[in-house]
Amino acid sequence: MPPTLPLVKGTLDVLVLKTLSWGPMHGFEIISWLEQRSSGSLEVEDSALYQALHRMEERGLVSAEWGKTDNNRKARYYSATAAGMSYLKAEARQWTRYAETVTDILAARSKAGAT
Amino acid sequence: MADQNIRPGVARLFRLALGRRESAESDANCEIAFHFEERERQLVARGLSAADARLEARRRFGDIETVRNSFITSSTRVQKRTALRERWMEVWQDIRFAFRSLRRSPSFVAVAIACLTLGIGANVAIFAVVDGVLIKPLPYRSPEQLVRVWSNGMVPPGIFEIVKRESQSFSQLEGAEGGRQASLTDNRTPARVVVSHVTAGLFDLLGTRPLLGRAFDANENEASTARTALISYALWQSRFGGDSSVVGRSVRLDGVATTIVGVMPGEFAFPAASVQVWVPAKFVRTSPSYWWSTYFALVGRLKPGVSAEQARAEAATVFPNARTGFPMRMPDGWGRGADVAPLDESMVKSAKPTIVLLYAAVALVLLVACVNVAGLYLGRALKREREIAVRTALGAGRARIARLLFTESALVAAAGATAGLVFAWFLLRALVTLLPADTPRVSEITLGGRALILTVLLSVGTALLFGLLPVLRAGRASGMAVLRSDVRAGSSKLAGKASYLLAVAQVSLAVTLVTCAGLLIKNLWQLQQVSLGFNTTNVVATTIPLPSFPNDTASRAPQFYDAVLQQARQMPGVLSVAIASSLPFGDGIQSAAMEVEAHPTPPGGAPSMPQLSAVSVDFFRTLSIPLVAGRLLTDADREGSTRVGVIDEAAARSLWPNGNAVGQRIRFVWNKDWITVVGVVGNVKRDSLSSAFAPSLYVPARQGFPRDMRLIVKSAAPLQANAVAIRAAVANVDGTVPIGEVRLLSSIVNGSAARERFVALLLASFGAVALLLGAVGIYGVVSASVARRTREIGVRMALGASKARVLRNVLQQSLAMSAVGVVLGIAGALAGLTLLRNILVGVSVLDTWVVAGVVLLLTAVSLSAALAPALRASRVDPLSAIRAND
Repeated sequence: MPPTLPLVKGTLDVLVLKTLSWGPMHGFEIISWLEQRSSGSLEVEDSALYQALHRMEERGLVSAEWGKTDNNRKARYYSATAAGMSYLKAEARQWTRYAETVTDILAARSKAGAT
Repeated sequence: MADQNIRPGVARLFRLALGRRESAESDANCEIAFHFEERERQLVARGLSAADARLEARRRFGDIETVRNSFITSSTRVQKRTALRERWMEVWQDIRFAFRSLRRSPSFVAVAIACLTLGIGANVAIFAVVDGVLIKPLPYRSPEQLVRVWSNGMVPPGIFEIVKRESQSFSQLEGAEGGRQASLTDNRTPARVVVSHVTAGLFDLLGTRPLLGRAFDANENEASTARTALISYALWQSRFGGDSSVVGRSVRLDGVATTIVGVMPGEFAFPAASVQVWVPAKFVRTSPSYWWSTYFALVGRLKPGVSAEQARAEAATVFPNARTGFPMRMPDGWGRGADVAPLDESMVKSAKPTIVLLYAAVALVLLVACVNVAGLYLGRALKREREIAVRTALGAGRARIARLLFTESALVAAAGATAGLVFAWFLLRALVTLLPADTPRVSEITLGGRALILTVLLSVGTALLFGLLPVLRAGRASGMAVLRSDVRAGSSKLAGKASYLLAVAQVSLAVTLVTCAGLLIKNLWQLQQVSLGFNTTNVVATTIPLPSFPNDTASRAPQFYDAVLQQARQMPGVLSVAIASSLPFGDGIQSAAMEVEAHPTPPGGAPSMPQLSAVSVDFFRTLSIPLVAGRLLTDADREGSTRVGVIDEAAARSLWPNGNAVGQRIRFVWNKDWITVVGVVGNVKRDSLSSAFAPSLYVPARQGFPRDMRLIVKSAAPLQANAVAIRAAVANVDGTVPIGEVRLLSSIVNGSAARERFVALLLASFGAVALLLGAVGIYGVVSASVARRTREIGVRMALGASKARVLRNVLQQSLAMSAVGVVLGIAGALAGLTLLRNILVGVSVLDTWVVAGVVLLLTAVSLSAALAPALRASRVDPLSAIRAND
């Protein structure tokens, strides 16, 4: 079942949570990681990512605390909470199912077109 | 910002200033600035110039303001949530701590909870009764507009229609008969049911719809309409098995075919809970019965803006004016007593003083319980002074300690309230069955929301009250002083005085209750000694309704009852048999307005209204009512012969104060035939043991049979055998006649004192509880004082005081305490007498014997409460006592 939420918004939450599943990171680290993984194909403004973080913090999916970077600069570190991790799992499962369904349908149509 | 380096949780922990909006804003800026720095550095590393990197970072970021806002919103919410959770964690910690500390003193907890359970439970249960009977609005539409019109009056249909026409105060005025017995027959066993004749609009006025079927149409009081009836929910269930096809079914009510048109809901109990069938009274305006035989109690709905007082003023003229409507001459004063009172007030009038008294009593019990718990807490606070001082010395704030102590008392109060609620539920179930049958609105008594709110208030109140005590003490105790000094010697004087006062208060409250209970019991005992004027030994009675004959029922009554008497005389063990239209202490008693030949009622004066009974010849012999003058009724006093009557001494005295009654003549105001008084018999108590003798007139049943006579049998056989024999005897005459329950006359008489017995029982049990609590209080004070004085006692004994002397000393202290309590308590009982006087005739003074009994009881209680600590004191070993605190 396709989610009724705007796709990008909901997807961004999941991507951020997935990133945080590797460990606590500050905002820019998350962005760099996502850019790296997507080889720049993710067209998202930085502000959208921060908003997603703050929204999820409010919902208790991530928690934030101030810390120091390697070169001793003050930064806000985010980490996924237990609620966040289970949200990620559920969303990921749904996303996969959605993607599989869409792929199946698309594959069937192209086959029909071939004959 | 000072707290920017500290996690919010830690800031809370150390009570640092919480981040406000400004700090959140600067945090947001900090995060955004950090992002830009990192991004620019990344871009510069990829080869952009510093200026280009800044522009590119800006472009990639998008709107800074939204990010700042989302940061502030989320971080303030998160902070609030964290704060809340921390507070809850603290409370939870307090609760766990309190629980642990309470577990160390199980006996204290047990006694405190027991006291609260008793106090709160009794209060909630009695409150539920008070609420159901007195406070809750009546279950009718806009009950505040409903009024009872002339509650003591007897309003026949004719007068009802005149008053309804003439009155301006009411938007609607209806009437209902109190309920009379009738025989209900269908194709099954005949049954006796209570029928109320009502005016057609009654249900509309009250705003109650039938559960099934329809209410009466507006025209159903007209004689031309079909006979219809509504039945009660209870009758529907018991007689018709809740079958909904009952609507439309035809039954016979006293032989008259009647169609059931509806079933009323279960909670509908107007005019009384005993009514099982409602029928519209048929108004035959040409018949004399239009002016008598059916008497309504009127209920009206006031027009908006009209007060009960205005309606009363109007009734005071409308009713006397309506008197001229009667076809017969009514006494001049008729209608003067017409009053108008709010329906709820008038329904509970008789029960109100009883319930108020019980509530006052139960409030006293709660007070005693509270005082007791207060004493317990005081003792506990004393013992813990050192512990608290240690905690203070270790840095616990005063507020923190106060909260810990408060949590303890709140836990105890909560446990007490919960247990009290359970206790109340059981108590209430017992109470509802014990309540005198005539208590109004019993069906509306439930443990409802208001009772629950009361419980919560009571428990919170007690928690606050007792939480406060140790806190105050903790506040006063300056830590180091307590730590250094000998605690027992330290603050013992003041605390001793306080707990002494508390114990005296308990004793005096208990004495008040016990004295009132004692007075009630004495009164009850006196009632048992009252001379009834008749003998109930081996007498049973029941109602034998007149069956309906196809035609001319009334003229066949003598024949029917003669046959019943004939049959009853054949029963085994029978000594004497009689029938009567009324039974002492039973129903069927009527009073009749009489005119005396020798001195007619002066214009405007009230007529004599003796109690009227139609009796058979053997009535006086069966009940052993003595003849005082003249002769009794004989078989010759029958239809056709001169009308005669027998009066009792009270009637003789009131009708002919200075002359011989025998041979004088009186008559009913509606009948021109004179009745000659042929004899005077002894007085008989009629409706209650405590009321005065009412003047009575007995006329021979053969000279005018009312319906529904009572069969009275004096027999050597036991009740069960009699019941079987009577049923058989009546069945021999007519198998369709349903007879009422066969009861011992003595139990009918005893039943009349049900309310007195109920109140006395409750007060006595409340008194016992209060006394028990008082004993606990005395014990607490005395044993604390013994513990405090151990060293002093040791010194005394070392100096030569004997064990007996020490024992006597302690007991004396306890006695002195109760003596003060007794004096105060009896003063309280004097105040309580005002309430008692409202429910009981004859309880007006403080009875010497009761007071003596209370003093003796209290002496015994206080001695036994002090015995254990006194023995402990006498066993003090002087040497170890003196060394104890070194």
